[in-house]
Formats: sequence, structure tokens, C-alpha cells
Amino acid sequence: MSDFLDQVEACVPALRRYARALTRNIDLADDLVQDCLERAIARRGLFRPTGPVRAWLFTILLNHYRNTLRTSRRRGEQVDIDTVPELAMPAPQPGHIALAELARAIETLPLEQKEALLLVTLEGLPYQEAADILHIPVGTLMSRLGRARAALRLLTGTPAEPHLRTVK
Amino acid sequence: MTQITRDMLMAYCDGQLPESDRLAVEAHLAANPEAAAEVALIQRQNDAIRTMFGPAGAEPVSARLKPRRLAAEIGRRRIRRWGWAVAAVLLVGVGLGAGWFVRPLLETRPPSATLIADAVNAHTVYVAENRHAVEVGSDDSEHLTSWLSNRLDTTLGMPDLQAQGFALVGGRLLPGAPNAGGRAAQLMYENPDKQRVTIYVTAALPDGQPAYQFASHEGAEAFYWANARITCTVVGTLPEAQMKAVAEAVYSQLTEGDVSTGRPYRG
Repeated sequence: MSDFLDQVEACVPALRRYARALTRNIDLADDLVQDCLERAIARRGLFRPTGPVRAWLFTILLNHYRNTLRTSRRRGEQVDIDTVPELAMPAPQPGHIALAELARAIETLPLEQKEALLLVTLEGLPYQEAADILHIPVGTLMSRLGRARAALRLLTGTPAEPHLRTVK
Repeated sequence: MTQITRDMLMAYCDGQLPESDRLAVEAHLAANPEAAAEVALIQRQNDAIRTMFGPAGAEPVSARLKPRRLAAEIGRRRIRRWGWAVAAVLLVGVGLGAGWFVRPLLETRPPSATLIADAVNAHTVYVAENRHAVEVGSDDSEHLTSWLSNRLDTTLGMPDLQAQGFALVGGRLLPGAPNAGGRAAQLMYENPDKQRVTIYVTAALPDGQPAYQFASHEGAEAFYWANARITCTVVGTLPEAQMKAVAEAVYSQLTEGDVSTGRPYRG
């Protein structure tokens, strides 16, 4: 039992990081993580699959996030503009993608692409684990990743590359 | 040479390519500046995403996100909920118990209904008997009168229903309602057509109030009346007019000499 709590505790920083990237709001993200942890702890032993705790926690977090999104969409989200924290951004450096621009671009992605992209890039999860968390086949995950990355490239206006077509 | 797919390029960027494929991709990239540029872009996107959101994972975790604390809180909440559940069960139990004890107080069925039901029941049981319809036959009517009068602790005359075409068959003593002396006498009469009526008599109810009631109970007609001395229920399956005539004769004879006499009903 305490072993289980230790495993959960080890996942908390990752869950917070992921929730923060999803919501872009410190308080919302921590609420999300807290709800996720409460659910997980309340259900331990009842519904916990035999798989790794981390994947299970991410699944709970995402399900809960989708539910709250649905609810707030019905209700019309209310966020006090003053409470929305500024993201600390390092100054853009040459050769780097403008971070603010990228952040905005990620915001405009469809949720299913955003979820997948953040699981793989931010959390560095293996494709199989990310696909399990999202309950989709690995192939579907790959295509979501591909579409997300292509969209980001368009939205951030990064040239699709030096485009030096060799004329033969 | 291995076919290099877009998925392989992406897996290379995400560091999820097996060693053998990784070397193949690197060779491909060295020969393909366009693919190399695409890979570089994806890697820059990855870096940027980690730069933006990564630090949140290194922040100190606030106390409300400590699993141990949450587990303890959930445990406390469960205990409280169980407490409420136990309290609810106890309250329901107390309510049921109290309900059981006050049940007699709330009993809305009037005593006359019990007496009528008993009378009809006794009627149904004994009119079906031939050899054992009565305990004491009419040939010993004096004994019958004194015996039943003693048992009911009142003076019980045998009504004469010859005028209505009924002759006394006899009578018997029965257990009765506790609030009406605990005993009842049943008198049985029969006409030449072998139709039978019974008269069910008990000592007076505690209130001793006069009362009259006609009731139809389980296919039998019952005429009930009570006064300060006795209660009496005449039961039969005769047509209504005949029933009324018999009931009226019984009433007038059994209340003879009583203080509160009068016509029990109009009709």
C-alpha cells in the first residue's frame, strides 16, 4: 500500500508538468492533478490495472481533464484575466523557435493532437505507453504526432526548410 | 538499405528508434539535406516544448498534492461517511422500533370491525358442519341459556325467530376478542330450507357505547350492534330484506329490558 503511494508520489512532478502544459494555468493544473490523485488513491486496488502506475495516472488525469473541458464548455469558461499567470519565457535566441509563438500554436492544436504531442515530447514517454494512455493504436498516435508537428511548423511560420531543391 | 519512413524520422527525433534503424536513418540524413532539415526542425520543436513546460516539473510540490496526505484525508472522509451510514442505520432502526411499539396506538381498525370479522368467520366455519354444528343442542335450551349467560357474565336469552321461519339449532362457546371479555357465544338458527343464520354475542366493549352497523364481509351479510351490556352480530347469507327482519327480531328481543332501546336503524 505505501509502496503504491510511493509510486504515485514519484509521478506527481510529471503529472504537474503535463497538466500545466495542457491548461497553461498553475491553479487549474494543480486542481487537475489533485483530483487525479484523489481518484487514483480512492480507487486503488479496485480498478487499478496491473500495468504501470504512471500510465494509469495519466489516463485518469486526461479523462478528468476532458470532462472538465466539456463541463466548462457548456458553462462558458470563466477565467479572471488577472489570475492567468504569465509564462516565464527566456528571450528568443537566434536559431531557436520563438517560444511564445510556439506556445500559441500549441494552444490552437486539436486536443487529441496536443495530448499526444505533449506525452511524447514533454514527458518523453515511449510510443506504446502514450498510445495505451490515450487508448489508441500506436499507428494512430504516430499520425496524430505527424499532424501536430506539421501544424506547428505552419503556425510558427518556420520555413519548411531551406527548401533547396536540387534541380537535376 | 532500409526504407526510411516519416515515422522512422519522427521516432529518430523522439529518440525511440532501435539502434540498427538509428544508424540507417543517420546515413539517410547525411545524404539528404531536406530530410535532415526536417529532423532538425522537429528536434527544435521538441527542445522548445521542453524548455517552456519542463521547469514546472522541477518546482516544489505543494502540500495538497502529497499522496500520503491525500490518502489520509480520503481515509478520514470514508470514516466520516461510514459514521453517517451507521448513524442512518441506527436512526432507521430506532424509527422502526418506535413504530412497532406505538403500532397499537395507531391501530385505526375499530373494535367492531374485529368483532364482525370474528362473527363472520365463526359463521362460515360452523354453518358448514352437520353433526357438529353446535356444542349444545336446542333440546337442552335451558342449560344452553344458563351456561352461556354464566360464561359471558350477562343474561343471554335465546331469541325466538319462529316468526321469521327460523328454529334454534343450538349454541357454542368460542374464544373472542380480548377487549370484549375474551369469550363469545354463537347461536345457530335454521329454516326449513336449511338456510342458517348465526348470532354472535360477546360482553360489552370497554366504552359500552351503543353502535349499529351493517357490513358485508366475505360474502356474508352482518348486522352488528352494541350497547352497554353486550355486542351482537347477526350473520347470514339471506336476501337483504329477510336479513333485516331477522336482525330486527334479534335486536328487539335481546335488548328487552335494556335502558337504551330503540329502533337500530330505519329501513
